Amino acid sequence: MRWVAPSIRVRLTGWYSLVLFLMLAVYASATYLAVRHEFFEQLEDQLHDDFESAEGFLVPTADGHIAWATERHHDPDEDEDRGIDVWAADGQPIYRSGASAALPPVALPAATAAPRYESLTAHARQWRTLTGTTLVGGRSVVMRVSRSEDRLRAQVGEILVVLALGLPLVVALAAVGGYLLARRALTPIDHLAKEARRITADRLHERLSILNPNDEIGRLTAVINDTYARLEASFEQLRRFTADASHELRTPLTVIRGIGEVSLKDTRTAAEYQDGIGSMLEEVDRLTNLVDTLLRLSYGDAGTVRLTPEPIDLAALAREVTASLAILAEEQDQRLEVDASEPVEATVDRLVLREALTNVVDNAIKYSPKGSAIHIRVSADGDRAVLAVIDEGPGIAVEHRGRIFDRFFRIDEGRSRDRGGTGLGLAIARWAVEVNGGRISVESAASGGSTFRITLPRSPRKGENV
Amino acid sequence: MRILVVEDERKIAEVLVSALTTEHYDVVVAPTGEDGFFRANAEAFDLVVLDLMLPGRSGLEILQTLRRRHVETPVLILTARDAIDDRVLGLDLGADDYLVKPFAVPEVLARVRALLRRGRPSEVFRLKVADLELDLVARRANRGDRLLDLTVREFELLEYLLRHQGHLVSREMLARDVWREPRRATPLDNVIDVQMTRLRKKVDAQGSVRLIHTVRGVGFVLREGQP
Repeated sequence: MRWVAPSIRVRLTGWYSLVLFLMLAVYASATYLAVRHEFFEQLEDQLHDDFESAEGFLVPTADGHIAWATERHHDPDEDEDRGIDVWAADGQPIYRSGASAALPPVALPAATAAPRYESLTAHARQWRTLTGTTLVGGRSVVMRVSRSEDRLRAQVGEILVVLALGLPLVVALAAVGGYLLARRALTPIDHLAKEARRITADRLHERLSILNPNDEIGRLTAVINDTYARLEASFEQLRRFTADASHELRTPLTVIRGIGEVSLKDTRTAAEYQDGIGSMLEEVDRLTNLVDTLLRLSYGDAGTVRLTPEPIDLAALAREVTASLAILAEEQDQRLEVDASEPVEATVDRLVLREALTNVVDNAIKYSPKGSAIHIRVSADGDRAVLAVIDEGPGIAVEHRGRIFDRFFRIDEGRSRDRGGTGLGLAIARWAVEVNGGRISVESAASGGSTFRITLPRSPRKGENV
Repeated sequence: MRILVVEDERKIAEVLVSALTTEHYDVVVAPTGEDGFFRANAEAFDLVVLDLMLPGRSGLEILQTLRRRHVETPVLILTARDAIDDRVLGLDLGADDYLVKPFAVPEVLARVRALLRRGRPSEVFRLKVADLELDLVARRANRGDRLLDLTVREFELLEYLLRHQGHLVSREMLARDVWREPRRATPLDNVIDVQMTRLRKKVDAQGSVRLIHTVRGVGFVLREGQP
């Protein structure tokens, strides 16, 4: 089975507790070691004091021996935990207290050395001892003072227990606190998720509620709402496109079907049949054209069109397009002119951009009155190259301007179809311009006349800084 | 002239057969890739029309194997409009020309004619139908004793129609071969129509027999008498 990461709040709490635990563990260990060290130092200080005071009990006797002046010191309370042993230089014991009787005797050669501390074990009890030599009445004796470590170890043990029990408790409390805090902090996200789940494809117009627009969650919600808005727009676009496309496809199909059915109804002359079939073929042609164009646009949408950009002179391109469409303008006594004072270069896919310009100019010819003029102005504007197609047509109403580049958008349905238009010319133009890194826009004055403006990144010409 | 059509879609095969038979070619249909390969390898054909999207053995495989066996019969491949890579691959593998589905019948016939004509001297300096005469060297056109005043484009258009005289010429063919545009588009269709109208006014001026005919939904044809 695959391990599934738990929720963020559990993970947050986990990490938080682990880090806290590690920090506290280091802190507790250091404390414990310091206290323990301090306690043992104190014990050794006490042993040192014991040693010095015990020296006072040793007195030389008249017979040249050394004796333990018992009567001068007796403290029965300490008998259990303290011991003093004294040996003469020759190893004869001079005094051995009760408590320390169990301890092994001192190895005499060692006693000649400097005073030393050591730990001894006897009858399951641990002792700390200080052994040293001292002179009593000019004679050397070996003396060992001992103290039991039991009480000290018990104290250190208690501290250890307090630390060892307290640490998990503190961590556990912190974890609970952390978990509650994390839950509190993350609750709005859960809330957000619940709200977002409610918004399905059918309810895209709904938005998430923003509690505090200034905090992180508020900003996140705003971003999500923004995404919903775009999603809604593209759903709407798709819906409209699907409806338009099926309408456009259905129209020729209806015509074909109608002609076929009418032709078969009665016997007709060969010329009539030919006319009918020809008419059907025209519609087939229209359908083919439509499907091809849609296919190209969908390639464009999918970004699978391979471009071959090269630096070209837009003025030359404008003249080329004008030359190829001049015949259409002539038919309507329109003047088609290119205004370009100098070459303006842009790095684009020539064929794709030419198609864009062709469609825009064709559109201008189509909608301009007889005898009017259409200008293609090529100019450089800083680092931008601008192709403006200016006509003297009726202009485009403000409400249509936003949609003029949409697929299948037509201001005048019947007129465009009569000219064999698919309603995709300007959509193709927009795609062709944008895929070349440019923008296309339209301006129109209330008095009439439209300007289609294609703006492209300009390529610097030799020896010129743009 | 024997032509082998390797096509699995029955209706498309029928259209091809009836179109080619009308032009008096001897047509054999192979409905599968295996059959097509077998026939192309064993029998003698002047041309193979090969669909690239075949069940079983793909058209590209057949083409490759035929060329490896030095069967040099001209091959015209049929591809879908979105299969650009297949098209390029097919030409690389030794196909002589290609057609994109859905294709127009006049276009098929034109390609077939061109492929069958290949390798034969086709240098002509004069084209003629009825009393219309084109001098390709002097770039002059005459209708009877009337000299036609044609623009460069009109001359090219008329030359193309004369070269295909008696055969249908589609707008696609004109867009590609006369206007040399890679793609047919609505503006270009309109340009072609206007150009054709002007040419017709000059060629078929009042009083002379009509030579340029429009075939509705298909294209144009240049011939004496009714199409």
